[in-house]
Amino acid sequence: MRRLAIGFIPLTDAAVLVAAAELGFAAAEGLEIDLHREVSWANIRDKVSVGLLDGAHMLAPLAISSSLGLGHVRVPLVAPFALNLNGSAITIAHPIYEAMEATGHDLLSGLGVAQALGDVVRARQAQGLDRLSFSTVYPFSTHTYLLRHVLVAGGLDPDRDVRLVVVPPPFTVESLRSGLIHGFCVGSPWNAVAVEAGVGRIALLGPEIFGWAPEKVLGVHARFAEAEPDVLRRLVRALHAAARWSDDAANHAELAQLLSAPQFVGLPADMLIRMLEGRLNTTQGGQPREHSDFLVLHRGGASRPDIRHASWIYAQMVRAGQTEYSEDAARQAQAVYRPDIYDEALGIDAVGPSLGDPVNTRFGATSMPKNSQD
Amino acid sequence: MTNDPGLKIVIVDASPLRAAILEAGLREAGYVHVMRLAEHSNLLARLHAIDPDVILIDLEDPSRDVVEQMFQVSREVKRPVAMFVDQSDSSTIEAAIEAGVSAYIVDGLKKERVRPIVDMTISRFRAFSRLREELEQTRTALEERKTLDKAKGILMKMKGLDEEAAYALLRRTAMNEKKRMVDIAQSVITAAELFK
Repeated sequence: MRRLAIGFIPLTDAAVLVAAAELGFAAAEGLEIDLHREVSWANIRDKVSVGLLDGAHMLAPLAISSSLGLGHVRVPLVAPFALNLNGSAITIAHPIYEAMEATGHDLLSGLGVAQALGDVVRARQAQGLDRLSFSTVYPFSTHTYLLRHVLVAGGLDPDRDVRLVVVPPPFTVESLRSGLIHGFCVGSPWNAVAVEAGVGRIALLGPEIFGWAPEKVLGVHARFAEAEPDVLRRLVRALHAAARWSDDAANHAELAQLLSAPQFVGLPADMLIRMLEGRLNTTQGGQPREHSDFLVLHRGGASRPDIRHASWIYAQMVRAGQTEYSEDAARQAQAVYRPDIYDEALGIDAVGPSLGDPVNTRFGATSMPKNSQD
Repeated sequence: MTNDPGLKIVIVDASPLRAAILEAGLREAGYVHVMRLAEHSNLLARLHAIDPDVILIDLEDPSRDVVEQMFQVSREVKRPVAMFVDQSDSSTIEAAIEAGVSAYIVDGLKKERVRPIVDMTISRFRAFSRLREELEQTRTALEERKTLDKAKGILMKMKGLDEEAAYALLRRTAMNEKKRMVDIAQSVITAAELFK
């Protein structure tokens, strides 16, 4: 039995890792996974970097920013497995949402929400009011790019017209209540937690913005991938089996129960099952909003890391001004995603690149890096 | 190594005791601008207002992700910070992470100026966790002692043994069953509760 230390952040999309470790999928591959609950994405990166963790539940953009050395020491990481797609939502404080309703835009459409928010921000500017603040969990996260996309679609400049800040998920409810922030984009179940606390309402589900967005990956150090390819392949197989099991609706009740344990997510199972099933209450006691792809754990080939997703993430980093475009960096970003390891582990033939928009943009401008538009 | 007393240092730590120990150490070393932040609310704005040269933060503090927002040049961040040390100095990062702390410095600040601060932080964090471990061990030893005494009392009362004989019985049973004495003592207490 080879023991592996794997880090995770208490979120619904740690599901596949937890299932792999706890339900025998890892053991079937001769692996014993010790799960380590972490409090920050920075810790996840640093502990993988120094080898305290063999791998971790990781924001896909963090795996790429680390590998590019954006903002800190370069840590070359490898993503051989996509733990999920989607799963985020944007929550807005009640008074702001009421102002959005008053603009007359259709708030059941994604573009309508973006335009309404744009109108509210411009109206506040005209009145000389403070900028609104919106938070995400980390600068290099799909949440950041979701939020920026909505703001841009609403005709706003995310760096001038609003304030974008980082608030760790456990502090989001209090920050929204105290007015420190006016909305946020985070992963599940934290939007639902804010709704149940009565401090805000869900305005948009992630897949209403991008239908097929990369979210968390298994991130391991490149050194580990090189030194122990066989162990990594076994891990990928274990995760694949766990992901297939986790995505099956018949298993959601058991999975939600498992995740609700205090050492994992530590929130009520009935809330977690709604996340797995894509039924979210947008307001306290209100009608649930449903989306079959709210959280995608396996279906539709979601587990296979798609290099076009890596390119898309890099394009978002450039679009957000987090880095300047270079062909070299674009290639390095692509190299973080390793569908070849996935294919080899599962004994499947490499599939040719798909065409079209890899994230299925629902409204607003699509963006891909220059080299992939050639 | 010469210290640079003018540097502004902020300590972000939810443990007031550890923060105090670190602050005292830094002041002894001659640093005069040392500030502690324990509250999380609006951390970025407060850091922005203080405009520190060095930020020392507990690894188990979720606010590390907030600090990392300062990696980026933006309207919110006057001077971007970076994680301490460059590529070549991975051993310091490793030592810091193992000690449970992380250090961020303002970009461009020379490594030599910050080195003593980081080294001291690492050693104080280590000392603190050693202390905590010792305290934990002492507490455990005390608990075990209490359990043994209670089990001895039960045996003395129920079997009419004197203290020495009760102790010997516990020890012999532990040896026979290849268990720790405290585990046997706990079983005696549990059994006595059941027979009450």
